[in-house]
Amino acid sequence: MNPGQQIWMIAKLELGRVFFSRRSFWVYLLAIFPTVIFLGHALDFSLKAKQWGGDRKTSAEALNQVQTGMTDEKVLQLLGKPINDSIRKRRIRRDQDPAAEKQPEVRRFMMYFDGKRRVDLRFEDGKLVSRNMRLLMNFEEDRKVYAGMFQFFYLRLGIFFGCLGIFINLFRGEMLDRSLHFWFLAPVKREVLLLGKYLAGLIAAALIFGTGALFSFLAMVLPQDASEVQTFWQTIGLEHAFWYVAAAMLGCVGYGSIFLAAGLLLKNPIIPAIVMLLWEGINGFLPGVLQKLSVLHYLQSLCPVPAPLPNDMPAVMKMLLAPAAPSSVPLAVLGLLALTVLVLLAAMQAARRLEINYGTE
Amino acid sequence: MAVYRRGYQRYTEGLTSHATRMMVMPRFTWEALLSQKFVLILLVVSMFWPLLCAGYIYLANHSELWQGLGGGFKKYFSINGDFFAIFMKAQSVYALILASVAGPGLIAPDLANNALPLYFSRPLTRGDYILSRMIVLLGLLSLVTIVPGMLLFAMQAGIAGGDWFWKHWYLGAAIFVGFTLYIVTVSLVAMTSSAYVKWRVVAGALVLAFFFLLAGAAEMVNSVFRVEWASTFNPGYALGAVWAEMLDIEIPDDKPGAFECAVFLIALSGGLLALLARKLRAVEVVK
Amino acid sequence: MSANEIVFDNVSKFYGDVLGVNRVDLHIPPGITSLVGPNGSGKTTLMNLMTGLIHPNSGVIHVRGLSPYAPEKLMKIMGYATQYDAGPRGATGFDFIFTGLLLHGFSKAEAQSRTWQAIERVGLTVAAKRKVAGYSKGMRQRIRLAQAIAHDPLVLILDEPLNGLDPLVRAETIALFRDYGANGRHVVLSSHVLQEVDVFSDQVILIANGMIVAEGQIKSVREEIHEHPSQFLLHCKDASRVASLLFAEAHVSEIKLAPEGDGLLVLTRNREAFSAALERIALSGIDIDGVIPTDENVDALYEYLIGGGR
Repeated sequence: MNPGQQIWMIAKLELGRVFFSRRSFWVYLLAIFPTVIFLGHALDFSLKAKQWGGDRKTSAEALNQVQTGMTDEKVLQLLGKPINDSIRKRRIRRDQDPAAEKQPEVRRFMMYFDGKRRVDLRFEDGKLVSRNMRLLMNFEEDRKVYAGMFQFFYLRLGIFFGCLGIFINLFRGEMLDRSLHFWFLAPVKREVLLLGKYLAGLIAAALIFGTGALFSFLAMVLPQDASEVQTFWQTIGLEHAFWYVAAAMLGCVGYGSIFLAAGLLLKNPIIPAIVMLLWEGINGFLPGVLQKLSVLHYLQSLCPVPAPLPNDMPAVMKMLLAPAAPSSVPLAVLGLLALTVLVLLAAMQAARRLEINYGTE
Repeated sequence: MAVYRRGYQRYTEGLTSHATRMMVMPRFTWEALLSQKFVLILLVVSMFWPLLCAGYIYLANHSELWQGLGGGFKKYFSINGDFFAIFMKAQSVYALILASVAGPGLIAPDLANNALPLYFSRPLTRGDYILSRMIVLLGLLSLVTIVPGMLLFAMQAGIAGGDWFWKHWYLGAAIFVGFTLYIVTVSLVAMTSSAYVKWRVVAGALVLAFFFLLAGAAEMVNSVFRVEWASTFNPGYALGAVWAEMLDIEIPDDKPGAFECAVFLIALSGGLLALLARKLRAVEVVK
Repeated sequence: MSANEIVFDNVSKFYGDVLGVNRVDLHIPPGITSLVGPNGSGKTTLMNLMTGLIHPNSGVIHVRGLSPYAPEKLMKIMGYATQYDAGPRGATGFDFIFTGLLLHGFSKAEAQSRTWQAIERVGLTVAAKRKVAGYSKGMRQRIRLAQAIAHDPLVLILDEPLNGLDPLVRAETIALFRDYGANGRHVVLSSHVLQEVDVFSDQVILIANGMIVAEGQIKSVREEIHEHPSQFLLHCKDASRVASLLFAEAHVSEIKLAPEGDGLLVLTRNREAFSAALERIALSGIDIDGVIPTDENVDALYEYLIGGGR
């Protein structure tokens, strides 16, 4: 058998374990979670449309007449009973000087629905201060939400922890199970063994998370307005779907190599995992050059829609957050692959030196 | 040569007190933990932020040092609930990392090596075992949370005087109770993962994943459904909301309040405790 | 360096501050070689070193001319039945051997046929499709042996292979070793009971505290044992009378009261003379209820060899 055949043989033997192990169950949950959430969103939309429609619906013309500065009584007269109505009274804080900072005593929130748009009205001391209108199902907005979900949850947490579980298991897990000697006693080079195991992990992770990305994207797109969806597929839809799936798979390539190497180089790979989690977390606040030393930067560069900043992020944080210009697609792909090759070379070196020493685990 | 008949005789003298027996495990575990380089480095690094905060308190109480900078700075140099909330949030990150490093080694090795029957054949109940393991984490985590927090509060009270203390004693109470709630929650998560996952490494990852993934999932639900209630299920947010209530600082109107969050945290802790007790039940010796 | 020998050239291995083996020089010829030593003496370390599972801190190892750093070559001619009590997670006995053979490059059909042959050879056909995790200790021992011999290696390394085997299987297993060792192949096995292996080994290597204390053909080691003082426990009612009679024998060097108080611990340099003396005492009408050798295990011999005799 040549080394290529050996790599494939090892990968085939490992694949079953990676895919069907009870320990891998949670990885599927991570991958499927966004799909479930977007399907839930579609269901929520149809339920709300049904619940808020009919008698409780308010005409769009009447809603358009509402202006800031109007009193709550006037709005009630104009629009009738809202779907939701809540009042919150101001609470004086101990450290607060009631005279120094002028704050409203009573806040009131009302919500109306015109059949398509949800309108949230905010009153302070009886006066309308803000009117927020948005479509109940807004494709444009959902695509941005998807971009945020994909980059902040799926890449940064889902694929990160999924790959941590899958790839650390390949060597460190066998060490803990006291079964690594089985592989070391086979007539294969350690480098070949490493590549075979990496390939098995990669196929499993890329399939699980690639499919998860595709399904969640479809779950986001398909419940939207049929004509918008058709236009989307005819223009940029397929390209977006492709790059989301590619980013998920390349995420597995990058994170997988790092966690495989961490499992070989260190007894406690949690420490590099913590460091990496923090590094990738603070990455957006670092200078551009340092931002490029992260897997996430390259993955985000591949994403077709930039992630919106979270609404509740403090202004100071937003000021500090200066995303480096995204790398070009070829550079992002090559950068990630180069990083992976370097990490795998280091892992091969470690595999050659690795000893079976179960007693110290 | 004198030859004596040997026979088994039960030990009839007095036993050490219950509390002393329970502290045996923490004493040995602390020793082992503090001999780990990473734990020591983390403990040292975790003191940087409290030191910065101490400097800040000093500056805030010595207005003559920054008088030349103009009156606008006064609002930046005030020691109030917001200041302690920021301090607590930063320190809680260190506590979480410490728990993910120290926590998994607490129960997992005992289960893997069948050591629980040995513990339970001593005069220790399951509750004692859980409590003594928890004391390990409570002690360690309080080094980076309650201890520096109370020191900062004492420093501020010492510099600002009795008036400030009588007006702001609730801040000290909030730091103590808030951090206690936090380290109990984190410890329970760490211990449960240690009891259910045989491998230390995976249990450590699980502790981190629990907090990060729940936070991510809650934010995802919020943004997809355009709601805010899911934040209740983000342990980080829930603890922050309870702290905010105790420190008397404002939570945005549309976010879940401290009450819902406290209910979630109590339910979470109860659930984790039940899971722990369930796992350890099978090998308990009935006394 | 001989292409037919297993060679250790000044090999040392440390686990941190703990000594594994120290400055080992060995030339192991083909045939059955037993590594004998008490627990923790370094037997498994030597085996792991020659199989490449661990690497020496200093020195060089060659197995029939091959380096343990080249598993792709070495493992083609080597089979190792480790003492590690675990195989791949969830694998059946059949899978355990079959997947190993696939990694050796055998076709599926060939691997299947070899797997069944190996399983039959260790008498595990009925349990072949059961999970290894559910096997008894003896069955695990046998499946590991089957895995080691399945590819018909030139060098067979076996870590404590007779542990946990019942007498019948033990006899069959020993026959298998003999069969293997007779054809110019290496069979290297470990044991902590010298008497267990001396009946079928061509040579033994005695190891204690990480150092080789004796090596050679079994005959010369037996002579060492013969010279070695032996201790016996005598159960008798009139212990002081028996003690006084035995003190008169030149070969008896020490007599102690047994810890239980119902006999004597006697140290003798000549087993045959001791046996004759006991016979004389018994014939004189003194009751001797029993004679039990107390240091038949190899630890006593080590103590003797390392300490330079008593």
